Amino acid sequence: MSAVVSPIREPLVTGGKSYHQITEDICSPTERAPGKAWILGFMVASGLLAFGVFSILWTIYFGIGTWNLNRTIGWGWDITNFVWWVGIGHAGTLISAILLLFRQKWRTGVNRAAEAMTIFAVICAALFPGIHVGRIWVVFYFFPVPNTRGPLWVNFNSPLLWDLFAISTYFTVSLLFWYTGLVPDFATVRDRAKGFRKKIYNILSFGWTGSAKHWQRWESLSLILAGLATPLVLSVHTIVSFDFATSVIPGWHTTIFPPYFVAGAIFSGFAMVQTLMIITRKVLNLQDYITISHIESMNKVILLTGTMVGVAYLTELFIAWYSGYIYEQFAFYNRALGIYWWSYFAMMACNVLSPQVFWSKKIRRSITWTFVMSIFVNIGMWFERFVIIATTLARDYLPSSWSYYTPTWVEVGIYLGTFGIFFTFYLLFTRVAPVVAIAEIKSILKAGGDQYLEKHVEEAKKPENLEEVSH
Amino acid sequence: MNQFTFESKEKQIFLGAIGLGVLCLILSFFMDSTPYHSRFWSNFLHNTVYFTGIGFLAIFILSAKLLAYSGWHTSFKRIWEAFSMFLIVGLVLMLVIIAGIFGHWHHLYHWADPEAVAADPIMQGKAPFLNPMVYTIFTIAIVGIWYFFAKKIRSISIAEDNEGGVLNFSFNRKMKIWGAAFLPVGGFTSAAIVWLWVMSVDAHWYSTLFAWYSTASWLVGMLALTIILLIVFKSKGYFSMVSAEHLHDLGKYLFGFSIFWTYLWFSQYMLIWYANVGEETIYFQTRIQEFPVLFYGNLVINFVLPFFILMRNDTKRKTGTLMLTSIALLFGHWLDFFQMIKPGVLHTAMESAGEHAHGFTSGFTIPGLLELGTFIGFLGLFLYYTYTRLEKAALVPQNDPYLKESIHHHV
Repeated sequence: MSAVVSPIREPLVTGGKSYHQITEDICSPTERAPGKAWILGFMVASGLLAFGVFSILWTIYFGIGTWNLNRTIGWGWDITNFVWWVGIGHAGTLISAILLLFRQKWRTGVNRAAEAMTIFAVICAALFPGIHVGRIWVVFYFFPVPNTRGPLWVNFNSPLLWDLFAISTYFTVSLLFWYTGLVPDFATVRDRAKGFRKKIYNILSFGWTGSAKHWQRWESLSLILAGLATPLVLSVHTIVSFDFATSVIPGWHTTIFPPYFVAGAIFSGFAMVQTLMIITRKVLNLQDYITISHIESMNKVILLTGTMVGVAYLTELFIAWYSGYIYEQFAFYNRALGIYWWSYFAMMACNVLSPQVFWSKKIRRSITWTFVMSIFVNIGMWFERFVIIATTLARDYLPSSWSYYTPTWVEVGIYLGTFGIFFTFYLLFTRVAPVVAIAEIKSILKAGGDQYLEKHVEEAKKPENLEEVSH
Repeated sequence: MNQFTFESKEKQIFLGAIGLGVLCLILSFFMDSTPYHSRFWSNFLHNTVYFTGIGFLAIFILSAKLLAYSGWHTSFKRIWEAFSMFLIVGLVLMLVIIAGIFGHWHHLYHWADPEAVAADPIMQGKAPFLNPMVYTIFTIAIVGIWYFFAKKIRSISIAEDNEGGVLNFSFNRKMKIWGAAFLPVGGFTSAAIVWLWVMSVDAHWYSTLFAWYSTASWLVGMLALTIILLIVFKSKGYFSMVSAEHLHDLGKYLFGFSIFWTYLWFSQYMLIWYANVGEETIYFQTRIQEFPVLFYGNLVINFVLPFFILMRNDTKRKTGTLMLTSIALLFGHWLDFFQMIKPGVLHTAMESAGEHAHGFTSGFTIPGLLELGTFIGFLGLFLYYTYTRLEKAALVPQNDPYLKESIHHHV
């Protein structure tokens, strides 16, 4: 990393912080009793969680028949939610691994919370294949282990099985990566704690002492995990897209799916990071670490990936026409103008059109706009998956089996339940762990701020100084 | 040395290369076992597409870097600015292909033959897009727009040298605005241009991923050529501030984007193989059975080679290994475009002449000496033009706000 930083770069940490202040600011939320907002949020989240558990138990007890899936539409809200949550689980690892490789130093402000969010989102996602099989007591059939079931063996040719491997690998590496980063920070919390709390954090930090040897090993491990995580960011949603694209169903079988799903995943992941960060920075007073520039950078990523998704939508549409294949043409005609036209409209409006407002710098730096837009994108990306799944299945080759699908309360309940899981975990996380990576933010404090001083620029603009600097 | 001189010796070398290319083109016009002089025309199209694409990717990456606050590439960004100027030459070369379509001089595109279209319902369906008018208008408008943006960004960059100051960010801001406008324009239009120029060679076949796949191929070719030139220029004493650190990062790009290219190759191939729909698999069937050297060679040169050579840290910093891989990849992605274009052209020409392609066909099954000579000729033309553009501006953008970062770049 170069020591010289251009004066054009905005500071990454504002408020002229000292190293001690950083520790204070970031650790203190874990050291005081939760505020009213937190308690209220936790009650709502755990309430949703409870309702979700109830709906899942209902499904298991009465069977998948309590959902509105039918012979024609075999995948509905379940797989839509699954893909949606997996997609959201992409931002964390993208921020920690790929932005690390591209030396985007601003990532340090948001990586911790984004990685946590990734892990919780993947948990929510993994739930759906588990309950979707219907007979949860034989769910271990998923795993290719030696058994006495004879020919009942996993199908290695199936992308659904690859999905199982991809997601479990992704989850493991993300978790390790996240926890590795947390170790020195847990030690910081431990050093400030007393009594039983100190003991717990000592265990959590594996007895970290901060010796040079510890840091050296920590750095190597982080680098190895970043290397492993980078291909995983691409592979997970690629394989999710294979679930559809390996089929011969018009509208599903299209070669652009892998990279387009990855772009969409990053798009939705960043939207969810924005939703959470805008609330978190306000509630925990972290505006100096998660600055407006951070929000602006993430909005740029949203604009970029949203437009990439837009290119993919139009490519699909165009090639469907270009193919000259009537079933392909019908599939897209049906998407845009068929019975589910409103979901296609919602998808286009939320994913492609609305992010275009981020061309305006003012809107990119506006918290209200960003928050509203992040919700829009979350909605749009949910509709994208719904469009791909339900719209396509509802109109198959046989008009006699055409059907329409709306979810039952059980399916809605499970979806709401995943929000419960997600937010319960996230709220607990903000209580027990430093929400911003303390060690990492300290490492960029000097390199990412000292050079940018407004007065510096003003002074340099004076003619006598200009001459001097340019030589 | 901040002023680049295009030495007369280099001029002679490049003119010699161009001469060789012209000679090879003339020879391939006459030494051709295929109808409609398809060997000559497909060589012309193939090389024009490849080098125009390199010019496009240069301005595309430059714009992306402007927006991403990238600093380290500043010390050699003039090379990319010079690359992008080739777009105008590419456009002129494409006009020759266009003239050929209207004059029925060649049979590169099945859809350009009115009789064939009349007998083919699938091509009739595509006719609103695949027709000489759209081809002409899109080519002129799109490459013209690319050149316009490239020219604009380069001129602001050069103006910054003379009028800017180190703490005057207004030029950077202006370039950023143009770059921001170019990214979506380039993103959408490049797909259309790839469909027209390359994918429509196999007029029945289609793949949604194709445009991104070929763009990735251009990108690796562009990076490889950048590394080759930087090493050559350094040996001549230019770009003294470009160090092993910069080459290391460019090497990482080469490595990373080679894997990305493979990822797209695999995504396209695997999905078509798995679904096993005849209309789609025929594309790969043809290549595996009749063009096995191209099909497997493409993967070996463009994936296996860079993956294993560039995996280590030190090979990305050493001139020898980096140069070797870059040369292989510049050729490898040229070969990739060869395998995209040649099989389709051969089949179109043969079918149209009422013959059937079988066995070894010179200049199609594998690149022959004439193809290599043509490649050298076009490379000579590209470099000749690049060198004249480099001469027109300072090599180091001394007022770029990121220059110091780039000079002190450390991986």
